[in-house]
Amino acid sequence: MADVLAEGYNVFDTKKSPSGTVKYLESPADVIGLIQSGKLAEHILLVRGGTTTFLAPALSMGAIGVITMSGAPESHLGILSREFQTPCVMTAHLTNSDSRYVVGSTDEAHFVEIARELDGKKVRLDCTDDEVGRVVAD
Amino acid sequence: MTTTEGKRATFRQRYEQADDGLRFQDLTYTGNFVGMDPVTDGILGDKMMRSRARSGVLEKVTKEDVLRDHFTIDELNDLNNYLAWNIWDVLVMRATEGVSGMIPRQEYEILAFMHEFYRWPELMAMTTEAVGGAQGIMDIGASARREIGTKVNAVHDWCIGAVGFGMGRCGLLALEVIKPDEYVEESNEILKFMQRVLWGKRQDGYILNSQDRYRCRIHDQDFLDSIVNQVEPLDPDGPEHGAFTQFNAAAELLAFLDHYDCRLGLGDTGPYELPDGKLLILRDLFVNEEVFHWSDVCEDAKLPHVYTLALVLDPDIMNLEEIRVNDISTTFTRPKNYLQAVVGGAVFAREKWDTPMGEVYNIPISDLGDHLGRVQQATLKLYTKTSKMCRRDLIWNGQYVYYIDMILPHMRKAGTYEKACRDYDLWEIDQRVANYYYDITKRGFAQETVPSKIFSGAGYLPFPDGISPTRSKYRWL
Repeated sequence: MADVLAEGYNVFDTKKSPSGTVKYLESPADVIGLIQSGKLAEHILLVRGGTTTFLAPALSMGAIGVITMSGAPESHLGILSREFQTPCVMTAHLTNSDSRYVVGSTDEAHFVEIARELDGKKVRLDCTDDEVGRVVAD
Repeated sequence: MTTTEGKRATFRQRYEQADDGLRFQDLTYTGNFVGMDPVTDGILGDKMMRSRARSGVLEKVTKEDVLRDHFTIDELNDLNNYLAWNIWDVLVMRATEGVSGMIPRQEYEILAFMHEFYRWPELMAMTTEAVGGAQGIMDIGASARREIGTKVNAVHDWCIGAVGFGMGRCGLLALEVIKPDEYVEESNEILKFMQRVLWGKRQDGYILNSQDRYRCRIHDQDFLDSIVNQVEPLDPDGPEHGAFTQFNAAAELLAFLDHYDCRLGLGDTGPYELPDGKLLILRDLFVNEEVFHWSDVCEDAKLPHVYTLALVLDPDIMNLEEIRVNDISTTFTRPKNYLQAVVGGAVFAREKWDTPMGEVYNIPISDLGDHLGRVQQATLKLYTKTSKMCRRDLIWNGQYVYYIDMILPHMRKAGTYEKACRDYDLWEIDQRVANYYYDITKRGFAQETVPSKIFSGAGYLPFPDGISPTRSKYRWL
């Protein structure tokens, strides 16, 4: 059985199962840099928030998969990833950690831990379940 | 039963009187009903909230009710409670999104909420007087029945009451700068304006989509026919389907970005059931709002004010169980992925906000490639431009998107926007709100208090019984 590294809300159910190396994006400069590198399609994008604007050019230019550390399918990034049919797992938590995201009171260490564990890993997104999206080691 | 029969859509059951709808989330709402059964989302939640009302304002109301100048205190409290639930219903999950990394949205939102509550009542009174009274405001709402590409739409009209009154008052209460017995007259002014626009638009006695099982069916049949006649059939596996859905996504993304990551750039109506059982959603995507100075990149890309997409869904393809066009103009379905069920589409462009309907033109799906390129170009330029802005500029720009754009369409229709700019200092920041800029970052007000009070529905304190409906604020102690 595949090793599930993280789980979260599945934005929409799809048979698409993109794989790539997780790239943690911290700033707009990171987003622009990734697009200019021409390697957008090689990466599953990991971001902290569930808003749309931060990832705007990446979505527009063909991001293959997204993982967020907060937000829900009703958040703007959830709505847009559905429209782009870009598989997206939101409010992902690590399966080997008890730390969970709570609105307004989440410790910085929660986000740091997820970024440290997933950034640079080769993963595949499994978005076939109605509710739960999974980040699987590839 | 054959396999095909087993895949029939069941969404029509949602429109049967006894049906309570599906649950789209596990959370429940309490609001001012502590000690009572928690309220759910969706159709059941609407029923529960209406059953707890002390007046008839949440049921179908008459034109005479709407023309009357004042709500009773019971009616104000019923609207306050219902809007608080409705806000929770549409936003509690969205509000889990956390930091943007780009635009400080929680910060600009709370400033705009409070600014609106202070400044809008005067602008609404002036606008109501300018159009000859209550009927004139109802006529502004009614104008949306025969237009596409208009911002007189569900989200803007809802924002008048839900945001300007509901969230604005809630935010000021949370900041402890107003008390529950203050600004009653001003609250009435805002809620009457909202009720009149929405009643005039719907004309079925309701004001909100949630009261009508999440339907926003506002267009006359002959008007709809003229749009449906231009819909092109789409094979879900064909290249035209891909071109149409990709354009939908890209234009929607730019609409969000031009409106600082908020829902004001997007407007769905429907679902309209067609004679063959398919469903039509009409979607406005406002990709170039001329009052925002940052829209110069959209102007440079020669984008119209708005693209309108007609999406025809086959509910049987996706085994549709429920479809909601909620009060912030966004469509959600169960199952969630509706794009595979799009079997027809059309795209229209309206160059300016006041371009006559006769000059709105159809863009063949085969020609969308050129428009897509320009949308992507504007998106990249606007992103680059936005990424260079300092935090203060981002917050105040975002504040303007809410405070100006939420009532812009109504003032434009009334012909009072220029007067508001000239005589009422519309684009100035009220000194009280300017000072709140520093308060909202203290003690996590924007990041913690706003989600816990505003989006959870916990901070919508009622007006006290027996208070005068014309009471304002008199003491700053």
